[in-house]
Parts: sequence; structure tokens; C-alpha cells
Amino acid sequence: MAESEVNLTKTYDAIVIGSGAAGGMAAHVLTGHGLQVLLLEAGKKLPIEKELRSMEWPYDNPYRGMLPPDQHSLSFNEYTIRNPPYGAGFEKAKQLKSYIGSSDYVKNIVVDERENPFTGTNYAWVRARCLGGKTNIWGRLALRLSDYDFKAKNRDGYGENWPISYSDIAPYYDKVDLYLGITGVKENLPYLPDSIFQRPTKLNCAEVTLKEGLAKMGRVLTQYRAGVTSEGLKHNKYRSRCYGRGACERKGGCDIHAAFDSPTGLIFPAMDTGNLTLRTNAVVREITVDPQTGKASGVHFIDSETMKDYAVHAKVVVLAASTLESARLLLLSKSRLHPNGLANSSGHVGHNFCEHIMGPGVTGRAKNLVGKPPTLDDGRPGGFYLTRFRNLTEKHPKFIRGYGFEGGSGSTMFPRGTDTHGFGAAFKEEVRQNQGAFISMGAFGEVLARYENYVELDPVVKDKWGIPVLRFHYKFGDNEHRMAEDMKETAQEMFEAAGFEIVHVNSRVLTEGWSIHELGTARMGDDAKTSVLNQFQQSHDVKNLFVVDGSAFVNASCQNPTWTIMSLCWRSCDYLADELKKGNL
Amino acid sequence: MSMKDPIDLRQDRREWLKTSAAALGASLLPLPAVSAETPQAESADPATKTETAEAKPAAHFFTPAQQALVEELSETIIPADNHSGGAKAAKVADYIDTVLRESFDDSRKALWREGLRLVDIMSQHYHGKSFVNASPEDRIAVLTVLSNNDHMTDLPEVRFFIELKRLTVQGYYTSKIGIHDELEYEGNRILQDYVGCDDQGPASS
Repeated sequence: MAESEVNLTKTYDAIVIGSGAAGGMAAHVLTGHGLQVLLLEAGKKLPIEKELRSMEWPYDNPYRGMLPPDQHSLSFNEYTIRNPPYGAGFEKAKQLKSYIGSSDYVKNIVVDERENPFTGTNYAWVRARCLGGKTNIWGRLALRLSDYDFKAKNRDGYGENWPISYSDIAPYYDKVDLYLGITGVKENLPYLPDSIFQRPTKLNCAEVTLKEGLAKMGRVLTQYRAGVTSEGLKHNKYRSRCYGRGACERKGGCDIHAAFDSPTGLIFPAMDTGNLTLRTNAVVREITVDPQTGKASGVHFIDSETMKDYAVHAKVVVLAASTLESARLLLLSKSRLHPNGLANSSGHVGHNFCEHIMGPGVTGRAKNLVGKPPTLDDGRPGGFYLTRFRNLTEKHPKFIRGYGFEGGSGSTMFPRGTDTHGFGAAFKEEVRQNQGAFISMGAFGEVLARYENYVELDPVVKDKWGIPVLRFHYKFGDNEHRMAEDMKETAQEMFEAAGFEIVHVNSRVLTEGWSIHELGTARMGDDAKTSVLNQFQQSHDVKNLFVVDGSAFVNASCQNPTWTIMSLCWRSCDYLADELKKGNL
Repeated sequence: MSMKDPIDLRQDRREWLKTSAAALGASLLPLPAVSAETPQAESADPATKTETAEAKPAAHFFTPAQQALVEELSETIIPADNHSGGAKAAKVADYIDTVLRESFDDSRKALWREGLRLVDIMSQHYHGKSFVNASPEDRIAVLTVLSNNDHMTDLPEVRFFIELKRLTVQGYYTSKIGIHDELEYEGNRILQDYVGCDDQGPASS
């Protein structure tokens, strides 16, 4: 793959802003259609294998794999008792990272909070500015949505339906499965459609016990559906199949790229077409508009290192900067013709912001596994997924929508259970004897999309590049808190039904943002008065502007969003290429 | 002191702080707040330290005496047994020294200095010996007082104990001894297939 210089005099067919799951997919699809594409990424191209070092033993690392002690990553407590911007009080730390940045392997992937401040309500906002964005460190759970999600309003009357049905996106889910690889087991669930799976991972003994216990309750536990190629991909020379090497639990990515990441999965192959120009360190500050037509004409970006300002031009602008950054950029792109910000005649940009609530869960102990010889359990990209069971056939009296659990069991490189009370010989013995016997799971639930949950531009505070930052107005609501209460109760119930000893029930709701699944700030819809984008993620107002990341979601569902982001993006980019050829953009 | 008698830490500390104040000829009451430490506290030799404070970090955070104390403290948290070596063999004190030496957090550093001092005062109070010179049983007795009162997080010695245990656990279970000898960790190698409940064990490729 050869990199070419950005040509400032050329009008590209499309500029794609952002190189994560959505931007990578847009680059892949559009270059595949023969379009000349310029891909802009705000961060660096990191020597990613050197960052991730997936098989490095902790004792070969001076900080045992933890963040170097001259840096700091924010804790739950700090997110709770402090207010944004979070930089105050950490002036002496060399870098200040979000909670996910607490390992030596991801420290250069996530941003310094002080260079990228925001204001307003508390939010654990994880941002990765580097080629590939958050796909370098994502949790890999790759789930489909169904008409239980797309048409949720039909079921409970809340919110809006999506302008698409499952049948519209299903062929694109298939394409993503086949192009990127996914492991899992078919379950034939109407509310969680199957993918085209490669070789699945295996459940260990405590997980099998839980699965059997749940089956009696009519609930489903299945192998973690991971966006990981377990059999390899003949069409992609940049990725290896998964060799179950272990350490998948530690915070960091996959240095053989068995787990999907945007650079090796999408961007490098796109560069091989000869149609892609990549520009890193390009912090976009505005999408420019032709003052005659009102259409997008290109972007202004600042080089993150030299601070020099550039203008580049294209026939189409594809925004894929992540849900919140994309909303920010639309709001920043004010002009005479678009005084509210670009694509914002509805006033809905930044609103209907939603995500997943998490925190409640349970840890148990399978007593029959205590004292057994160590097993190999962490060579899997994930343990299990316990699928949604609320508000499918019956209506829950206290809340609408649903939640699922992610979990796992077994031995890990760093043992579970070291937070047990005490010290000394008994403590040491207990940690050893119990190391393979723990099982735990935590819930991810739908946060309702509400107009009142929104972001706007802060009138005063600016980032390191002088660009106005976001001000948050975002809180979990009553439906979420009632759901969280139920998560905690059902988690305990299910572990008891499986015969596990309950070690700890977690009722604590984590800070808003913790799931890293922010969605919905530029939602799709058929009505231009109440939505920002049409069903092809095309702006109602500006025909040659597409927003292809999570901001287009109409609701959050309770499934992890990455696979849906990429499938929707593929569908929209097929449409985009077609419309461009027809001269409609 | 008998391990069976519950110690009232809040009550006792008035006594042991008074004793130590008298012994040191300085008043420690009211209790010194754990505050940002001065550069002088960084090194055994204050004069040298002050001159080089801005130039580069000290080679060690702990003084030799503190290093010996941390070695015994960490070994008391995770001792050697007939299964594997303990925190001392795993050089946990060296790891903790690295973390503190490079830490940006002055209040954390100050907590360690203060905690080490208070633990020694407690050992003197209960056993008439410094922690390092006390018997393993007496060392366990001192840490038991802190462990049994680990909810009293307003007390610096309790916060120190929690930090001591956390960093000892972190250092031990990421060491060669912790991973390979103690836990006999099976992973971090290339496999033919995933291992499940019905499989005998992993097959390496």
C-alpha cells in the first residue's frame, strides 16, 4: 500500500472525515466504486503493533503493563466528584487520559483530556485520535439489530421508528460479516439475528453451567459474537486469523489484527485500489459551503503538529468523526445559508443523544471449580453474551426496552478475586484456589433517545487547536434507573438459579459515557423537520453531505453498535456512489 | 497483644501517637495532614536532593531503611509458602519504588512516607520493636489491625494499608513468580483451537 500526498488543488470525489469504523468503511466502499477519496484523520498514524504488543509479559514492562505513573487515567470516583473539564487538579500529570487509557498499551491511542476538553454535565468521553480511532481498542462484541429495535416505536409507542427495516440492512450485515469476519453460534433469535459466523469460541465450564441454568428460565446465553476472524480472510493480507493467544482481556487491541480494526480491515485494502489518499494529523474545524448553492464544498483542517490551516475540496463530504465529534463539526460549520450549523434546519443536531447504560452486574463463584488446576480461558476474544429478555413478549411494568449481559469466567493472566478481604498466607491461598472459579457479567441497557439530552458548542472554551468544544446536557433518566435496578436483580437471580455462590452484586451505575457507545446526535428519519438525515444518512438539507457514523442512530437498542454502524455505512455509500454517478449530488 | 481482641484503632492511635511524639521530642498532635511533600522528603540526603530536584528524579524513592521496611510489609501481604515465592522474591518493593519514584502525584508519595512512619510507630507501640525487627507473627498483628479497620479511610495509616495491598497485589501477580510459579498461568501462547469445558487441555500449534 502506497501513501500519496494530499493535493490541495484537486477536487476529490469525496472527503471522508474520520478513520474509525465508519470512516474506514466509507473509504473501503467508495474507493471500491472507483471514487477518488481523501480520508482525513485528526490523529497520528501510530506504529500500532509496537503500541499493542499483545503478547508482552507484564514483567517485561517497567510498569507491568499499567499506565506510566507520570500519567493519569480518570477513575469512576474522579468522574463522579469532579466536573468537566477534567483537567483541573492534574496539572502535574504528563498526560491525562479517560478511564480506558489505563494501560501502557493504549496510552498513545486515547487523547489527552486537557488538549481536548469539554464542559457541562459529567461524561466519561473516550476519544481515540489516531488512524483507526477506537477500533484499535474496541471490545469486539459484534451484534445485529432487528425490527425489535428499528421498529421499537410500533411496540411501545416511544420515540421514532428508523426509516429502514431489518430487511433493508440485512444484506449489508452479510457483506460486513464476510468482508471482516465474525465468530459466533447461530441461535435463530428474532430479536438478535444471526450473522454468517466463522469458527466459534468455546464456553468454559462455569459458562456452560450458567447456560444450562438459563435455558430452564427460557433465557439464552451464547458465545461472544466477536468481530474477529477465527478462520482468516483470503481477501485480506493485512490480517491474521485468531490463534487464541491470550491476554484478550487486558486493555488493548490485537497486534495480529485477528480482531477487526479499521486500518488493516478497511483502509489499507482501500489504499491498494489506488483511489485513496490518507492525510493524518488533520483536525477538521469546518465543513465549507458553496455560498451560491448551499452545498458542501470541502473542509478546512488544521495540521495538529504545525498548526497550519488547509482547505481541501470535494464533490461530496462524508462525516464519520464519531457521534459527538460529528455533531460538533456540523454545529461548527455555520454560514449565512446555514446559521444553525450545517444540516441543522430541524434543530435536531446534537439532540436525541443516547447510548447504553452499564454498571449493574454480578460476580459469582462456581464452588465445584475451586481448587481445580488452572485452565486456559483468556485466549478467547470474549466469553459469553446473555441476550435480551425484557419487553420481548411481555411488557415490563417499570420500564420499556431491554438490556443484555456481557460476561466471562475462568483463569486470566491477572487473577480475579484479588479484592477479597485480608492479606497473608490465607489471602494468597484463596486467590490461587479461586482463580478459575469466578464468573461475572455486566449489563448494557438501552438509554432512551430524548430531545432533552444534547450537546451544543461551548461559547467560551476551546481545544488545543482553538476550536470551540462541546458542552454536555446529558443525564440518564427514570427509565434507565428503573432498568438498572432490574439488571441488578435479574443478574443475581440468574446466578442463583445456576447454583453459583454470589460474591458481589454491583448496583452502581457507571458514569454517563462509560459504555463508549454514544449515538444519535444526527438521527435519520423520513421527516426533515424532526430528523437530520434520510435513510441513506444523507442530509435532508445538504444533498452532498452524508453522516455515516453512530450519530445517525434513531435509538440505541441494547446491542453494541459497531457492526450496525458499518453495515449502514456500506449501504449509504453504495447509494452515494450511485447518486454521484447519476449526477444527483 | 492477642489477635482475638478487637483493637479499637481510633482509640489506640491516640496512645501510640502520643508515645511516639514523646520519644521523638516533637508534638505530632494534632495529626499531621498528609500533604504535598517537600523535595527534602524525597531523599535520605536533603542537601543533595534540593540541588538536583529540578534536574532529574532520584534514583530511588525509598531510602534503604524504607526499602527494607517495604520488603517486609509486602512479604507480610503475600508471603512465600510451599507453593511459591512471596512478594520479596518477586521484588515487589522494587516495583513499588519505580511507581512512586515516577509518580506525578505528590499526595500519593506523601501518603507512603507517612504510612511507613506510622506503621513503624504502631509496631513500636504494640511490640516494642520496629516492623523490620518484629517477628512475622507480630508483623501480621500490626497489619491485622489495619486490615480489620479498612473502612476507616479517613486515617492515613488505613489509606496506606489499602495502597500497600493494592500495589503489592499488582506487583506480585504481574511478576514471573506470580504468573508462572504461583498461578501457573496457561495462556499467552499460540493455540490450534479454543479450549472449552469438554476439552482436556490446550493444544499448542
